[in-house]
Amino acid sequence: MSQARIAACLIALMALSGAGFQAMAQAPVRQAAPPGAQVYFHYPVDGLSVPERFTVRIGLRGMGVAPAGINHARTGHHHLLIDTDPGPPDQPIPSDYNNIHLGNGQTEVVVTLPKGRHTLQLLLGDHLHIPHNPPVMSPKITVNVR
Amino acid sequence: MLRLAPALLLLGLALAIPLADAFAQERARQRSPAPPTARLSFVGLADKAQVPAKLTVRFAISGMEVVPAGQVSRNGGHHHLLIDTELPPLDQPIPSDFNHIHFGGGQTEAEIALTPGKHTLQLLFADHNHVPHDPPIVSERITVEVPATAAEKPRSAAAPGARVFFIDLQDGATIPSRTRIRFGSEGIAVTPAGTTSTNGGHHHLLVDTELPALDREIPSDFNHLHFGRGQTEVELSLPPGEHTLQLLMGDHEHVPHDPPVVSQRIRVRVVADGQPAVAAPSAPHAHGTGKARTASPNDAVVYFVYPRDGDRIYPTSTIRFGLRNMGVAPAGVAKPNTGHHHLLVDTGPPAFGEPIPADLNHIHLGGGQTEYRLTLPNGRHTLQLLLADENHVPHDPPVISERITVIVAPGGPHARRRR
Repeated sequence: MSQARIAACLIALMALSGAGFQAMAQAPVRQAAPPGAQVYFHYPVDGLSVPERFTVRIGLRGMGVAPAGINHARTGHHHLLIDTDPGPPDQPIPSDYNNIHLGNGQTEVVVTLPKGRHTLQLLLGDHLHIPHNPPVMSPKITVNVR
Repeated sequence: MLRLAPALLLLGLALAIPLADAFAQERARQRSPAPPTARLSFVGLADKAQVPAKLTVRFAISGMEVVPAGQVSRNGGHHHLLIDTELPPLDQPIPSDFNHIHFGGGQTEAEIALTPGKHTLQLLFADHNHVPHDPPIVSERITVEVPATAAEKPRSAAAPGARVFFIDLQDGATIPSRTRIRFGSEGIAVTPAGTTSTNGGHHHLLVDTELPALDREIPSDFNHLHFGRGQTEVELSLPPGEHTLQLLMGDHEHVPHDPPVVSQRIRVRVVADGQPAVAAPSAPHAHGTGKARTASPNDAVVYFVYPRDGDRIYPTSTIRFGLRNMGVAPAGVAKPNTGHHHLLVDTGPPAFGEPIPADLNHIHLGGGQTEYRLTLPNGRHTLQLLLADENHVPHDPPVISERITVIVAPGGPHARRRR
């Protein structure tokens, strides 16, 4: 009786660990973000009218900046999301015209946008471009390019 | 009945003319109401004041709130600075030109440059559409005077033993047309232009020219090379032939010191590349400790996002750093064009050839932080930012900010200004 119970426990354990490994294979371990970490726009602020070419200045509270590829606790590098929503938080941030990577540890970037309304959002990524857990993300702001 | 017709026609005309008139002009805009108690004024700038050509103008508003242009807010608006102009029509958006400067980002100060002579300044608050409020919130119109530029500038004192010299380059040397020239200094610190410091200055290399006038700015041209960022070497290209080289230290305003810190004027013979020449050794060892310094891009700039020079701040304030054309990396990470911040509090720049000391005056942000919560006692303090590489050694040329002065007061920005 007790042997059967142990066997059942073992099977259950193996199933659990198997499931765990599977989950890890799908999504790499995400770096933890310290509580209170915050990324924000120094410039522009929400609702601002900006020229077609302007500098986005990025502030970061409670964490440090490190270039992509540098695995260092409590650090990450900035991503500027233009006219797009963040993807799934356990996947690397894509690299395209809408997701600008600041992989050398930059804290500001000059962008050129066509006239009209655009949304901007900041998202910190770790050394593998994966958002932290919980994601360190700014509110989405709207700017009016004139 | 027939008699009435011309009268009606006249009446119609009389009605139509003012209407047409109104349409010919700009349509009057809806004006946002303002509380009668709202007051707008300049901070620390009085009527008939003498001001420098480049000055920071600060604005104070009471009874209303500053919000960026475009945001509709009750009792909110943004500043406009009117320079040398009358008030614009109050039912129209304020024009945007050199005389009407908009602060649509919600700024409360501006750095302006004025030509010598008298100028008028006036502040006008306006709503989200740039239309002045009803009643208009307008400051006193003040007149300031920029004195005619004095050619002669006060000279900074230099320590009596201070000297500058060329490293590994003798009078009469033969050098290739492209050479690295290294500058040495003794008894005087190398500080970037714009940074006021006692017994500090930056190098100037005089090529094929006599000493300039010592009581004014060193000229800036092909014969007078400025190293305003505190560089201590240059890659110089000269055509083959005989040339003269001389070093001259200039202070924060590029004016030579008193007494001038100047090197011997040396004569060099430049030969075309490929010929044997007694060249300066290529190993960078000229910086005392022998530690090689990491190169920085020429256009890299580190600066304070907050506070600005002259700001009043709370005893505990978050100091925010900006970095242009470089990236941030934690200490220990070697990656080109990156570094980590150091906040220098109440101290001048350290020696650039050695690791930045770590103490209460030299705050290391080795985790790659871009802001720091700093607590200071009340009073006047100076802050300066200096970027350094993975070994805490400043770059070459050093990436260093202006040294700013802040006044720490319990009320922070709202503290009463003492006269």
